[in-house]
Amino acid sequence: MDIAVCLCFVPDTASVIGFSDQTSELLRVNEVINPYDEYALEEAVRLKERFEGSRVTVFTVSPVSAKDMLRKALAMGADRAVLVTRTMVLDPYQTAIALNHSISDFYAGTLPDLVFCGKQSTDFQHGQVPPMLAELLGMGAVTGICALHVSTEGLEVEREIESGVEFFELHYPALLSVEKGLNTPRKTSIKSVMEARKKTIDFFSLSFHEPPSVVMTGIKPCSRKKRCRFISDEKELIKVLRKELFLP
Amino acid sequence: MEKYLVYLEQRDGVVKKSSIEIWNALQGVAALHQDVVVSGILVGAADLHQLSKKMYGQGLIYHASDQKLGLYNSEHYARIVAELFQRGVCSALFFADSILSRELAPKLSLRLKASLLSGTLLFDESGAACGTERAVYSASALASFYPQHPLRIYTIDSCALPKNALPTDHIEFKAIEPYGADHREDFFPLLRRIVMREGVQDLTEAAIIVAGGRGIGGAEGFVLLDQLAFLLEGVVGATRPVVDEGWRPHSEQIGQTGKTVAPILYFACGISGSVQHLAGIASDSTLVAINSDRHAPIFEIAEYGIVGDVHLVLPKLIAALHDFLKKK
Repeated sequence: MDIAVCLCFVPDTASVIGFSDQTSELLRVNEVINPYDEYALEEAVRLKERFEGSRVTVFTVSPVSAKDMLRKALAMGADRAVLVTRTMVLDPYQTAIALNHSISDFYAGTLPDLVFCGKQSTDFQHGQVPPMLAELLGMGAVTGICALHVSTEGLEVEREIESGVEFFELHYPALLSVEKGLNTPRKTSIKSVMEARKKTIDFFSLSFHEPPSVVMTGIKPCSRKKRCRFISDEKELIKVLRKELFLP
Repeated sequence: MEKYLVYLEQRDGVVKKSSIEIWNALQGVAALHQDVVVSGILVGAADLHQLSKKMYGQGLIYHASDQKLGLYNSEHYARIVAELFQRGVCSALFFADSILSRELAPKLSLRLKASLLSGTLLFDESGAACGTERAVYSASALASFYPQHPLRIYTIDSCALPKNALPTDHIEFKAIEPYGADHREDFFPLLRRIVMREGVQDLTEAAIIVAGGRGIGGAEGFVLLDQLAFLLEGVVGATRPVVDEGWRPHSEQIGQTGKTVAPILYFACGISGSVQHLAGIASDSTLVAINSDRHAPIFEIAEYGIVGDVHLVLPKLIAALHDFLKKK
């Protein structure tokens, strides 16, 4: 089975992001693999281990500095990585176009059997790239899956919806975006990190100039800090909440 | 002339409250601006009589009611909506933010060559919907997004919409036939079945949430939260450590890698207040924190707080609430 996994890198949540002049200052921020993408990668590697002869290739559209973080993906079990370098921030549409180009190029006219993505990235939380990419690749897709059953004939997936669960049936090739909790991503061992050093990272630079579909402007910090009113007595709390008309 | 198309999401014949709220809010805009016209699209069977009673203003709702279209299918639905949008020469398409729209809207944005934006709607002076505003970077910042194409698709958080109360003027349903002969074809992925959780309100739509963190100490401790939620007609939520420990299911997780909620009232019990957890709670929810640590970060953003052991505070709160409700 040929499996592609799309990764992106996001600021570590514990990092403090500076804001000045309507933009964010990310230079001193620690970046990590998008947590949702780790679940996607783990699932791909598990399938590789289950179906002999399978290969997992990770794709990312990132600055060149991402190559160090790609080593972690390779240490988790990916066989190869493709880094499509970009110098400016892209919107989801441009990212999907770039991924489509690089995946189509890499698989030289055929399609991988499966493409895994994280459901969304923790920085902007658009969740748009996976469905856009599926549309560009011409693949069926289900977003936000929480369970997956794979056979050589096809796939069955589950995903949580508001107040329930949906069960889908899919054929290959398919794109799946993954919800947290699908699996438990493995920790890398020293051995796997050493082996990762021998794996290949291909570098491509973006050669198209597709304009963005949406422009993000005007980032400003928002503070949620409030002055907490401490209440010592439970009865008093009820009085206060009732005053605010919260109680039924 | 701005021609808006509102996608009315239905499941099991019931149209989502959030879709109706978007229709109503846009009708409010149309009432003030002559050149804004609002239409709707409904795919799948639904109780039209019940539906029209909840909808304000006036407009045409196109209804593709074929039996086969009851269950969501992204390809069928995309074709129906795209065809109507183009035939109607619409300028913007509106979805309520939901699992379905997060999958369908991006697909449509490519097919219609429309800019896709999500969050709180921003309007320009002529009453036209233009950009959106949304929290980013774990809710530590607010960003604005603007479309680069004249055609737009919006996935809107209906909680942030201005509420209005217009009378129902004239809502007309117009049946539309699915395009061509293709509608008999099966498009994969096929939705085979849905299993709904009976009698449980969805976290993302709840007005009152009682959430528990590591301070609850174990699965048994959550009995107190269940009791409090029951009395308040609210829903129980949990933080990531609680779900990781297996005390509560993942469907109750609130936070960066869990659900995003926008209740009116949020009880944070035994929750320290990590950035990742707070990222899942709308900034205008009123937070009541119960924690034994006076210096827990949660008290920096809570409106009200009780410092104490949740296991002692909650039973007293439940008892007091019980008495209060009995007296009413």
